[in-house]
Amino acid sequence: MIRPMYLLWLAVGLAILIALPHLVTNSFAIDIFIRILLFSFIGVAWNLMGGYAKQLSLGHAAYFGLGAYTSTILQIDFGISPWIGMAAGGVVAMLASLPIGWLCFRLRGPYFTIATIATAQALMLIFLKFRDFAWGAEGTTIPNLGSAPLMMQFEGKAAYYYVVLGLLVLGLTITWLIERSWMGYYLVAIGEDEDAAQAIGVNAPKIKRDIYMISSFLTALAGTFYTQYIYFIDPATAFSFNISIEAALVSIVGGIGTLWGPVIGTVLLETTSALLQSWLGGRVGGIQLTVYSLILMAVILWRPTGLIGFATDMYQRYVRRQPARA
Amino acid sequence: MWETLAQAVINGLLIGGIYALVSIGVTLIFGVVKIVNFAQGEFVMLGMYISFFLSSQFGIDPIVSLLVSMPVLFVCGVLIQHFLIRRVLGPNDMPQIFLTFALSLLLLNLALMLFTANYRTVHTWYSDEAFHIGGLYIPYAKLIAFVVAMGLSGALWLFLRSTDMGKAMRAASQNRDVAMLMGINPNRVFCVALGVALALAGAAGSLLMPFYSAYPFVGQVFVLMAFVAVVLGTLGNVIGALVASLMMGVAESLGIQFVGADSGLIVVFAMLLLTLAFKPNGLGGGRAR
Repeated sequence: MIRPMYLLWLAVGLAILIALPHLVTNSFAIDIFIRILLFSFIGVAWNLMGGYAKQLSLGHAAYFGLGAYTSTILQIDFGISPWIGMAAGGVVAMLASLPIGWLCFRLRGPYFTIATIATAQALMLIFLKFRDFAWGAEGTTIPNLGSAPLMMQFEGKAAYYYVVLGLLVLGLTITWLIERSWMGYYLVAIGEDEDAAQAIGVNAPKIKRDIYMISSFLTALAGTFYTQYIYFIDPATAFSFNISIEAALVSIVGGIGTLWGPVIGTVLLETTSALLQSWLGGRVGGIQLTVYSLILMAVILWRPTGLIGFATDMYQRYVRRQPARA
Repeated sequence: MWETLAQAVINGLLIGGIYALVSIGVTLIFGVVKIVNFAQGEFVMLGMYISFFLSSQFGIDPIVSLLVSMPVLFVCGVLIQHFLIRRVLGPNDMPQIFLTFALSLLLLNLALMLFTANYRTVHTWYSDEAFHIGGLYIPYAKLIAFVVAMGLSGALWLFLRSTDMGKAMRAASQNRDVAMLMGINPNRVFCVALGVALALAGAAGSLLMPFYSAYPFVGQVFVLMAFVAVVLGTLGNVIGALVASLMMGVAESLGIQFVGADSGLIVVFAMLLLTLAFKPNGLGGGRAR
């Protein structure tokens, strides 16, 4: 059941987002919007597995990097359009998630998290070491073709904005569909208590494997987009640990296991980061992650349900005049 | 050939002693408090900077500054348990993982802001000295670090065996609920466990300083090694972690000797993946979680 008011708000929100690049033409601002949409999308992809099923991965950079490298290799070595490369990257990431998941799901809780970190780092090392394969540590630039929409290259930043907006809409739609399906309930059951879920007949290993594949697929799409956007790829950016961190952080700060949580978290974190940069001028090393980690700690200690949980409590307390949940 | 091999094994054992201090801390916290401390490596880093500043400001030898770094980090551990970790203990994994992870990010990036990314070294009179036995070469600094590390591990073992607090810790790690029924105050036990674990990390930092550079990311090298050793040695098992750390040191050193100078990390990851694939409960085969 979708309430009509909800649909109306959605339509208004989407209309504003579509109009935004025409209203704001400052390219610095559009760059920030693109970052917000991109990290929202990565957060949404992470949240499917980390949020609903509580499989707290800190290795999603592995799939981001695989997506980025697949499309770039296809484009530079074979002249295949990144649009096709994007889908191919998603498939590669999905296939890679099978053995990685097979290894990592042997552990639970914090040790699952450590295993995902290690696999992502191992993949980065592979791309760093093999110089003959995929340009080694130096990376490569993407040939600039000017305006070539079929090769995912555009004149202005506005077109990139629409591409990543489309990705985010795709991610949110998939999340929305899963949330309302049997799979969504299975995921939440696994997230609450995996053994109990298994005991009532949820095939937890299969569900976890499936959601990991979906999550990896989506993360890889973001990798292709990012490489096309910055025209550059190397192992340190494509497999950056910061991507794994930010994917998890935006979801937790916004509201873990909720549809809109990652989006709200990204708006807060990326806006903070942009403000910090404009106040402090150039980059003071470490300031961004210092602030992120303080926000993360504050959320965990005072409001583990994130900003969404906070907003819901406030709504119930002051608007509906009902006692907030304890 | 045999000399190269023996030399590699010795190098590995010597650095493995440092890994052991870090992994024993991780496994102690995991066993007693049932959380994984993602920030353990950052406390090694803090220990290194404490020794570095004591050495550069007051000329105190890094090994002697152990007497400062260990108590300081013990107090840090007690405070962190009392004010932060205590608030997130419960059935839910997410806050526990991300609280210590946030702590790790915070310390690392604060260090980056305050101390910059420069490498800091301390030069002592014994930094370049070494024993030569047969064709083998044993640097003083690493030997001292190894001996002190083993001494501290032995002291911890005695502490866990024979003191009331040690027994309370072992009881809490075997069965928290029953331990509480026997009159053990869990928060006090957890505070001491965190304090001891962080003091060991601080000791590792001080012992490293005569032959290793301090920089904000240095802890990540050690924490990764510790995580692998802790899985390999069966989660929560102190002796297991010690043996596994020495093995990791030797494996890394053999990798560097026979595969290539920068292959240390690859060996570590390979060991982690092999452990996960074939012995996910550790070499002892005990129960994981």
